[in-house]
Amino acid sequence: MADTLDTRVTRYEAPRKVTGGTRYAADFMPSGMLHGALATSAIAVGEILGTDTSAAEAEPGVIAVYTHETLPDHRQPKGFYQGGPGTASFWPMTGTAIRYAGQPVAYVVAENAAAARRGAALVSVEYEESEAIVEMDPGSSFLVEAEGMEVTKGDVEAGIAAAAAVVDETWTTPFQHHNPMEMFSATAEWNGERLSVWTPTQSVRTTRGGIAQAYDLPETAIEVISPFVGGAFGSKAGLPPYTMLTIAAAKALGAPVRLIVTRAQMFTVAAFRPESVQKIRLAATTDGRFTAFEHIEIGQTSRFDPVVNPGTHMTRAMYASPNIHTEQRLGRSDTNTPGFMRAPNEMQTFFALESAVDELARKLDMDPVELRRVNDTKRHPVEDVPFSSRSLMECYDAAAASFGWGERDAAVGAMTDGDWLVGYGCATATYPTAVAPSEARVRMQSSGTALVELAAHDVGTGAYTIMGQIAAQRLGLPLAGVEVEMGNSNLPLAPLSGGSVTSASAGSAVHVACLNVAADVARTVSGMADNPLSGLDPASITLDDGMLKGPDGQRMPLLDALKATPRGEVSATGEYAHPDLTTQALRTTYKGGYGVAGPVTKNRAMFAFGAEFAEVRVHRWTKEIRVPRLHGAFAAGNILNRKTAHSQLMGGMVWGIGSALHEHTVVDAPRARFLNANIAEYLIPVNADVREINVEMLDERDDYVNPLGVKGIGELGIVGTAGAIANAIHHATGRRLRALPFTIADMV
Amino acid sequence: MRNFSYLRPATLDDALRALGDGERRDVLAGGTTVVDLMKLGVVDPDGLVDITGIAALEGHEIGGDRLRFGALARMADVGDDAALAAACPALTESLWKAASPQLRHAGRLGGNILQRTRCPYFRETLYACNKREPGSGCAALDGGTTDLHAILGGSERCVAMYPGDWAQALIAFDATVVIRSRDGTRRIDFADLHVPPGDTPEIETVLKKGEIVTAIEVPIIPAMKGSHYLKARDRESYAFASASAAVGIALDGDTVGDVRIALGGVASVPWRARAAEDFLKGGPFDEARAREAGRIAFADATPLEGSAYKIELGASVVAGALMTAHDRARQEG
Repeated sequence: MADTLDTRVTRYEAPRKVTGGTRYAADFMPSGMLHGALATSAIAVGEILGTDTSAAEAEPGVIAVYTHETLPDHRQPKGFYQGGPGTASFWPMTGTAIRYAGQPVAYVVAENAAAARRGAALVSVEYEESEAIVEMDPGSSFLVEAEGMEVTKGDVEAGIAAAAAVVDETWTTPFQHHNPMEMFSATAEWNGERLSVWTPTQSVRTTRGGIAQAYDLPETAIEVISPFVGGAFGSKAGLPPYTMLTIAAAKALGAPVRLIVTRAQMFTVAAFRPESVQKIRLAATTDGRFTAFEHIEIGQTSRFDPVVNPGTHMTRAMYASPNIHTEQRLGRSDTNTPGFMRAPNEMQTFFALESAVDELARKLDMDPVELRRVNDTKRHPVEDVPFSSRSLMECYDAAAASFGWGERDAAVGAMTDGDWLVGYGCATATYPTAVAPSEARVRMQSSGTALVELAAHDVGTGAYTIMGQIAAQRLGLPLAGVEVEMGNSNLPLAPLSGGSVTSASAGSAVHVACLNVAADVARTVSGMADNPLSGLDPASITLDDGMLKGPDGQRMPLLDALKATPRGEVSATGEYAHPDLTTQALRTTYKGGYGVAGPVTKNRAMFAFGAEFAEVRVHRWTKEIRVPRLHGAFAAGNILNRKTAHSQLMGGMVWGIGSALHEHTVVDAPRARFLNANIAEYLIPVNADVREINVEMLDERDDYVNPLGVKGIGELGIVGTAGAIANAIHHATGRRLRALPFTIADMV
Repeated sequence: MRNFSYLRPATLDDALRALGDGERRDVLAGGTTVVDLMKLGVVDPDGLVDITGIAALEGHEIGGDRLRFGALARMADVGDDAALAAACPALTESLWKAASPQLRHAGRLGGNILQRTRCPYFRETLYACNKREPGSGCAALDGGTTDLHAILGGSERCVAMYPGDWAQALIAFDATVVIRSRDGTRRIDFADLHVPPGDTPEIETVLKKGEIVTAIEVPIIPAMKGSHYLKARDRESYAFASASAAVGIALDGDTVGDVRIALGGVASVPWRARAAEDFLKGGPFDEARAREAGRIAFADATPLEGSAYKIELGASVVAGALMTAHDRARQEG
């Protein structure tokens, strides 16, 4: 049997996707379906004094116009910080309060989507407006009161006093929105006390749990269906108001209702990456050894939720230093509650940290790669546990070699090509390896096929193919013989697809289920006569990728053994939980939350690492900043599929170009609104911005992280890119840019 | 989007009749602006008169002494014309650097020159905007974000920027616009087509109700061969100009015989920098003088907080464009 893992397998659903054959949530249209549309708030903060729905109701095709006063049985799940899946604790259309611009104020249902949107535009709301501030004031930030939010080791002031060079700077990052290609949508259909919800989500199980809790229904009465997700990146992680409003409207009307949120509304009805301020002090001796590292991160959050993206947890894991101080702080402003956007803790903090390291290298006149080598460590600098594996410098050496780092002229402004100033820069990428508990069910049949079932999600990553590969490898079947079913809440529990956990967690459950299939088969055949395993203690029989093996070299292919059994078919469930997973985290997951082991457990620190190198060009006349080359080398344990992994890492680096040069939700301060709420003015890189991207995946063995030895890679690629580009801009021009994104306006 | 009527006449006369019959109707060509703005609720005509069935308005030609562009010529077709690129690089480069390939295949030149502003306050009906709703105010000037706004030709009522690219090349080379109505044909200088906002930002052009742009004509002059369109933008494709310049140079020996400079991404209307031209005309050319011409082009700029960077950037872009144009003019000479 040829290996299916660690190969370049094309995802099997790809032809269907590129020919439009894949059905996404909004493609399911129950019979008799009506169409919803949201009307949203014209002010940011204030009160609704009254709503005139008469014009909307008179619009041809409009069936119902609901406000906070007229929508019956509109329920709310608990917010994320109250232990539920709700995207926020403040729920719109429950009263007269307006707390952010673009908050839903009315829900219109019509015979067709165009009529619903026309109706929504005709809803007239009278407001009493109060003062609103959309950008946080870092000066009035507060320390988050939770364990680990402030950490002190040694004495940072003493470390700075003893240093030969100190960097003491502040970096800022803007609001960003995920803008997945697939719009937010929800379709709800009630059948008596049973409810079906089609919605693109990163978690069918927590969505189901939240709805069940809100409506006081058994979870078995609710089915959440999300077979494919057209990009999520954190924007579809929670249970949002638009879904609950759609469920209420469908209940009120006794008919299925589908809502597709508009692109502009996607900027206000769900989460986003909060703006941040990063204050770093980094000090070193003349030979580059860090003597002090201090990082104070101030993240923006809403008035009503303390959303923490704990980036200092990641930066303090990075380099050895005897003196470390980190603080995780928040500043409030008048927005919807922010959330998690691809590398939510790492993108902005590593832009700052890796810029600081580069600035320190300049002050010390050291090669920035060597400065990182001097401070590399095999133990977590604060938690006093070893890394389960850490191949940071191997990544640097590989990427430096492929990039040609050694051939540069390190002097600032020394490299030009025609009208272009040329610069090289590098930065570290890291991403925590968190592992969630998961289940999977595998049914294997003597026809040489298997069905894998679990409530995991394919958010565009190729997860169907990955799960199929794992089962094929373990069971000794061709990939084409394995069918995978995911994205439905009726299937065995799998974690929320966030934090790059799916392959490590759900994949491990598939692995365990396959072992259980084999154990079941081994039990049966060992009790039968006339086969190589006859009479053996079933506990002594092991599975080695399609082969059942006895203690004394007995061998029997699993499929042959299955064929020998009377049933010729076996079904087994696999339950996986990392040994370091706490009981509380396990309970959290099964109660509909997000409980993981890692990245730091009582035994190990588990992280993936990488190094990214950027070539930047700045045009002499137009001041345009371009990135013709990006090289990244990454070490993330076993690579299950080198093709989809390459795409994940490359896609992350493309996002990194966007974070560095393009992405920025612009605010209109006087009206406290997001101004560029469309993808014409919210820039992301286009093909012409993405030139040479070289991705190298190093071999790394890590038996601690999970039985598959894999670390998450979905977010790793983005982490080092902005820092590498910032450092290359400095090399090209001598300018230190400390606010994302870097634009033409910064270069004059 | 409101319901609207849709007509697709086969002849120009039928189109002119449809536009003049009293209904509030707009012309539809490529649709990349008007349909977009209808979806946003910024414009809400009772009907659209789709002129794309009028074959007489298609195509473009390079004549002996002038270039002629039908109003329905596609941006992509004209931008890809190698003969035109040889005759006047600024005209093809400015089309190539506009929008995305998809939009260039859809967009027609008559509509292109009439593209509406991308001011975010104009395009979102929640905000006060004197251009969209006369007298309602200007959210941009009322403390708004202004990095996309005009530093030349704005007024106290409106600082919206003209976003197009091709128009800069047209104004640089003294194009003429051919306009038809039921009363007949008139020709105006392209430079007179757009109207700065002043006290009436809702009035953007001198076109009257019932008129259709049918063609654009450009006289062929020597400075076209030595021309260049340089566009500064934050991403490599599909972005509006932070600043741009369409320039042309014809040399008379070692001195500048003729020079044309037009500015994009910085002004309320297509903008000709005549003082900068006068500075260069009849004199020698070098980088220092190119930079000085750039500075002169922005001497009268009135930036807002967000758009202040455009002065230095615009001057640099003008200088860079002139350097390339001068190289091309030298090769011609």
